[in-house]
Amino acid sequence: MNATAAAIGLGLGFSLVLLTGADPFVAINTLLVYPVSDPYNAAEVLIWFTALLIIAQGIALGIRANLWNVGAEGQFLIGSIMTLWTYKQLANHLPAPLVVVAMIAAGIAGGAAWALVPGVIRARYGGNEIVVTLLLNLVAVSVLWWALDGPIRGRLSAGYPLSDVIAPDYRLPILLPGTRLNAGLFFALAVALIYYLLAERTHFGYSVKAVGSNPYAAVVAGIRVQRVIVLTMLIAGAAAGLAGALHVMGVLYRIDAGYAETGFGYLAIAVAMLGGAHPIGVVFSSAFFSFIMIGSQAMQRAIQVPFPIVYAVVGIMLISLTAVQRTYRRTV
Amino acid sequence: MGLESVFTPDALIAVFAITLRIAPTVLYASLGEVISERAGVVNLGLEGIMLLSAFTAFYFSYITGDPLTGLGMALLVGVAMGLLHAMLTVVLTLNQVVVGLSIWLFGFGFSDVLYRVLFRGVPSPTVKTLPELQIPVLSDLPVIGQVLFRHNVLVYIGFLLVPAVWLFLYRTRLGLLIRAAGENPKVVKAAGHSVPLIRTIAVLMGAVLASVSGAYFTTAFLRSYVTNITFGRGFIALAMVYFGNWSPVRLLVPLLIFNYVDSLQLMMQAADVGIRYYFLNMLPFIVLIAMMPVFGRNVKPPSALMKPFR
Repeated sequence: MNATAAAIGLGLGFSLVLLTGADPFVAINTLLVYPVSDPYNAAEVLIWFTALLIIAQGIALGIRANLWNVGAEGQFLIGSIMTLWTYKQLANHLPAPLVVVAMIAAGIAGGAAWALVPGVIRARYGGNEIVVTLLLNLVAVSVLWWALDGPIRGRLSAGYPLSDVIAPDYRLPILLPGTRLNAGLFFALAVALIYYLLAERTHFGYSVKAVGSNPYAAVVAGIRVQRVIVLTMLIAGAAAGLAGALHVMGVLYRIDAGYAETGFGYLAIAVAMLGGAHPIGVVFSSAFFSFIMIGSQAMQRAIQVPFPIVYAVVGIMLISLTAVQRTYRRTV
Repeated sequence: MGLESVFTPDALIAVFAITLRIAPTVLYASLGEVISERAGVVNLGLEGIMLLSAFTAFYFSYITGDPLTGLGMALLVGVAMGLLHAMLTVVLTLNQVVVGLSIWLFGFGFSDVLYRVLFRGVPSPTVKTLPELQIPVLSDLPVIGQVLFRHNVLVYIGFLLVPAVWLFLYRTRLGLLIRAAGENPKVVKAAGHSVPLIRTIAVLMGAVLASVSGAYFTTAFLRSYVTNITFGRGFIALAMVYFGNWSPVRLLVPLLIFNYVDSLQLMMQAADVGIRYYFLNMLPFIVLIAMMPVFGRNVKPPSALMKPFR
């Protein structure tokens, strides 16, 4: 069913691509074949998969509690910044493995802290978390500029705002030589498993669902709704922060101001929705989206179809999805 | 230069004037969203509608040389997006959050794609903006004239819309029906009215007003186009509705505070006061978030807000 919606969305999206004047055969070929055409491209798909899966699992948990965390983008940025800051503070002072652990922990803490504010505002004042998380994304971009100009500014950055490059000892190991595929993938799979257990097998997971479906009934059932809301936001933020830490330590090793434009946090919202906000569904939708992303990037290079078309296609796809689900009498 | 350069009388007058000049970027969208939410429908796609309108206005203003034509075409975009949103959320009763976020992502991507495709190879295109209206006599008054009476026509219409929307919601029959559709749609139906029709009208008004806010960026405020030109103003409009407790009049206070802080920081950036630009950039958003506990107290949303009516 979600596949039907994805197909409708892709079809409509593809007509958008044609509007830009692209050759349809080249476009299809690029979109569908390029991502698996060689090991390097396939590895790139898995890198997107790692980031999207981790972030989307957190957003999906929120959706189950009827909490819409649109702020993963900011949480991801703050997590990445904290990781690089920790690196700058600790590298060469402590043993490398210890620093690596601290870097990952800092990323998680940064993301969680950034999600705490909207969580508390929603829980205590009923303020709309969508608006607050989105505003915090805008703030996070400014924080990135500030960090690159001060706290994480690289020694060799000269006039250009650039962080230090993480030394080889502090990077995540590469799994496939000649590509950027790294141990972050294992984290992603572990996170998926943890989310499955958390959401489907624990009392907390049950509370989350209860708060999402009927907060009043949840109160009657003795669930502390405010606590569940704050915890859910914290977990989602922690996940986005972890994704940031892994992306910096496993893929890029250094960041500049362009890092604010990865779009992971925004696309992960769509991933979570397409995956039906279910831990297993999200694994499939992450894989699907990663493939489409690498294909779209290739389309931009090969036939000048602007990359932002992805967002337009995703929007159409999600609307198709909800419409299809409505006809089957199911809700997201 | 130091901070004192921003706190001279002249500079402060300029800040107040800019506050009013940038107000329409949020004002129209907030007023429209009040109408829409009063009928029970949240439009989280405001940002997407605004982006599409901003681009449409820019494009048609560029090819015709007339900002009013651009504005007119942007209004059509508002109508189209409003009908789309109403069809999905009111007629098909889909989840309003999902539809809104989807429309936002669509507008975010599509406006950028259109710009890159239609202006491929055009180096830094610019458009003419709406002229300032110098209101006779009043604009010559010291201070007040400079702050209040030297703006383009959309600033005046925007502020006149505040009482107009209030009168519409509280003193007309349709306004009453809209409020009832957002509080207790069953009663509206029992009285023999069509809830979907009333909600569609409200959503349409909201979307059209949002398109004015979007078009304002490229017909009255900026002369060139950049990616994501509205930079979150659609979401800020949503925050204003909440801060203003769903009243078109009460939202003016937080709206003016936000725009004042925004113009102050713009002024400080221009005057190079020695505070780095990134601290200034984040200032209005932080003020807005900090206002949550103040304005967020005792707000009460319409009872049927976000509840589909089947």
